[in-house]
Amino acid sequence: MLEYFIRRLLLTIPTFFGCTIVVFFIVTLAPGGPLEQQIRALRGIGAGEASGASSTGGSVIPESALLELKRYYGFDKPIYIQYLTWLGVYPRETESFIVEPETKRSVGNNKTIIVKKEDGSYIVYDGENQSQKSSDDWMIEPQKSETGEERVRVYQTGFSGILTFDFGKSYDYREPVINLISARIPVSFQFGFLGFVISYTVCIYLGIQKALRHNSAFDFATSTLVIVGYSIPGWALGAMLLVLLGGGSFFDVFPLGGMYSQDYSSLSLGEKIVDRMYHFVLPTLAYTIPSFAGLTMLMKNSLLDNLSQDYVRTAFAKGLREQRVIWVHAMRNSIIPITANIGYIIGIFLTSNYLIETVFNIDGIGKLSFSAIGSRDYPIVFSFTVISVIITLIGSIISDLALALVDPRIRFK
Amino acid sequence: MADITIDKEEIDPQTKGSVIQSLSINQRRWRRFKSLKRGYYSLIILIVLYFISFFLPVLINNKPLYVSYKDKTYFPAFRDLGSSLPLLSYMIDKSFVAGEELGEVGNKGNANYRKIQESFDKDNSGTIVMPFYPYDPLEDISTDGNVAFLAPFEENTSGSMRILGTDDRGRDVLSRMSYGFQVSLSFALLLAFIEYVIGIIIGGTMGYWGGWFDVVMQRFKEIWSTLPMLFIIIIVVSITTPNFVLLVALVALTGWIGISSQMRAQFYREKARDYVAAAVSMGASTKSILFKHILPNSLVPVITYLPFTIVGSIGYLVSLDFLGFGLQPPTPSWGQMIGVGLQNLSKWWLVVVPMSAMAITLIMVVFIGEAIREAFDPRTFSRLR
Repeated sequence: MLEYFIRRLLLTIPTFFGCTIVVFFIVTLAPGGPLEQQIRALRGIGAGEASGASSTGGSVIPESALLELKRYYGFDKPIYIQYLTWLGVYPRETESFIVEPETKRSVGNNKTIIVKKEDGSYIVYDGENQSQKSSDDWMIEPQKSETGEERVRVYQTGFSGILTFDFGKSYDYREPVINLISARIPVSFQFGFLGFVISYTVCIYLGIQKALRHNSAFDFATSTLVIVGYSIPGWALGAMLLVLLGGGSFFDVFPLGGMYSQDYSSLSLGEKIVDRMYHFVLPTLAYTIPSFAGLTMLMKNSLLDNLSQDYVRTAFAKGLREQRVIWVHAMRNSIIPITANIGYIIGIFLTSNYLIETVFNIDGIGKLSFSAIGSRDYPIVFSFTVISVIITLIGSIISDLALALVDPRIRFK
Repeated sequence: MADITIDKEEIDPQTKGSVIQSLSINQRRWRRFKSLKRGYYSLIILIVLYFISFFLPVLINNKPLYVSYKDKTYFPAFRDLGSSLPLLSYMIDKSFVAGEELGEVGNKGNANYRKIQESFDKDNSGTIVMPFYPYDPLEDISTDGNVAFLAPFEENTSGSMRILGTDDRGRDVLSRMSYGFQVSLSFALLLAFIEYVIGIIIGGTMGYWGGWFDVVMQRFKEIWSTLPMLFIIIIVVSITTPNFVLLVALVALTGWIGISSQMRAQFYREKARDYVAAAVSMGASTKSILFKHILPNSLVPVITYLPFTIVGSIGYLVSLDFLGFGLQPPTPSWGQMIGVGLQNLSKWWLVVVPMSAMAITLIMVVFIGEAIREAFDPRTFSRLR
């Protein structure tokens, strides 16, 4: 068993690399990337139609500035090197300065350097104590300035990337992606967790009741209800709820969106909790209702299946009470298929919710990544891909684990 | 008290007596399908509505069915109908009759037929027959007499009213909703067809031949399914103008994966069955084993999934349109309509109308799905109480 799960975990590694390679190449090679957007911005054209051809002209932007931009984004290197750098197995240029030889230059951390030319090659000295070589490891690359003067680029390299949990820095926010994401994880996680708990409790209970009253009016009515809920995408349901209950046209019961009221900070703790719950109602409904149908039907059918099994007949024949037969004997077996869905559901709740977040104006991971896709903020797009790939892969393993936990007959090999 | 409840279906018609003629499996399926009334009626209603939707240009259009003016006759709506049909659209252009030809002074653009109708009514200078609901989904406030945000049944200044109101640009909501129905359902059907063809071929080959092909394809599918589809669609949409076929192709890129997994499992199961072994021992060719024996038996589960695929596809298109990365803007689509509604929450009909249209359509599809499942996978439950 343990061996099986270790093997499953190891198998996720090639899949992870496969996924990230595919995504990285597609995203990077797609036209209209950040470089072209920068160039457009510099030219003052503004955001128009993206076009691959218009960006290579370079008649307005000096060649050197273009090169500098490319270097900044790392696009001056071949794409496989870019990928390796992103992973963190190829050295990444960290501190980079263009300095004039024989001139002192501050490089941050209260340090200064000075570059001197000796025997045709450049050597970096400490700015304060010019007889001593700089204690840091500087890479040197001679260059020419626009006017043809002598310049030297000094830079440091380091290994940092996804594998060292460095998700990079957002182009738009100019902030490490990890900060942006971790600031939004609680928001998305609250909805994901709440939705998960609610849909499992409601669906299991409803499924049982439906199975016990198979073909009754109650069964028919609830089937229709969950089917209606299933048919409508969650965000569209949210839009409908906003019109009906969010003060759009009919009833002004719930807020239009967001996470808290404007006067949130002035509220007492109790009021804060109420305020949060108040803002949670509609989005949570939009999150959970579409997932009801699948789980409820699964629960119902699986319990019905088990109730017609011989062992249930035997249990009744032994003279056990109906409650005990249903809740102890049949339930244990009926819960198995439901458990198999856990990992998958976790993935759904944690990743694909940008539409609901857009409708309700919730600043969560989904909305962040969606707007990043629009503005080609690659570090965020890649980080989001990595996170969702990992959640999906781990989710399927969690499903298997949960299956093994509830069903002792299952032996994975 | 212990009584046994048995579903009616459990008693096979054949066992009741020799009087009843035995039915083929498909006849029995059709019978069971019809037994679930709401699914059966939904199927009939949807088929009729979808069929009618192809004739929308002669039902809901601002161009007349027939115009006669100064010894000349025109059939603009029928021309539009021709240009809207799948293959004819390459041969027939949308109708264009300049307003000047029909007596509108100084209108070199498309004639405003509703105005012409009024003037014809006054001076009897010609005859004009307008369609049942004379408002086009695309005409906006730039056309005379159109007002933005007209509520359902509210009359505008000139006394005309719209059954379901108008949107932020004065476009008719009922008209847009109807055309949106056709777009959505066509999209879903075409997408489902493509996904099924690809999924069945790939899944079937994986399941039947297995081996290294299966292993490699499994990995490939796992990787392929993580493609950031939304990102790809956004990029493609920003480079080219998205049309219907392109959008279907893009969504189908990853859509076939689920079906292929089903088919693979099904082929694995079926090829180990005795009837396949029998067919092999009788010297049946690979082709006949695949297509005559395994395929029909393997199709059952994927067929029961079809309605749910369609529900998913319609939802996907609506979501894309809502985000603004679906069909090109003037195209009438439910997602775009809901998007407009969300920006104008006080105008309830802008959200409620497309939402209801979508919900009713999807619910009917799900009902059909239930009936199909009932037909192909009859579960009979007998339990002790």
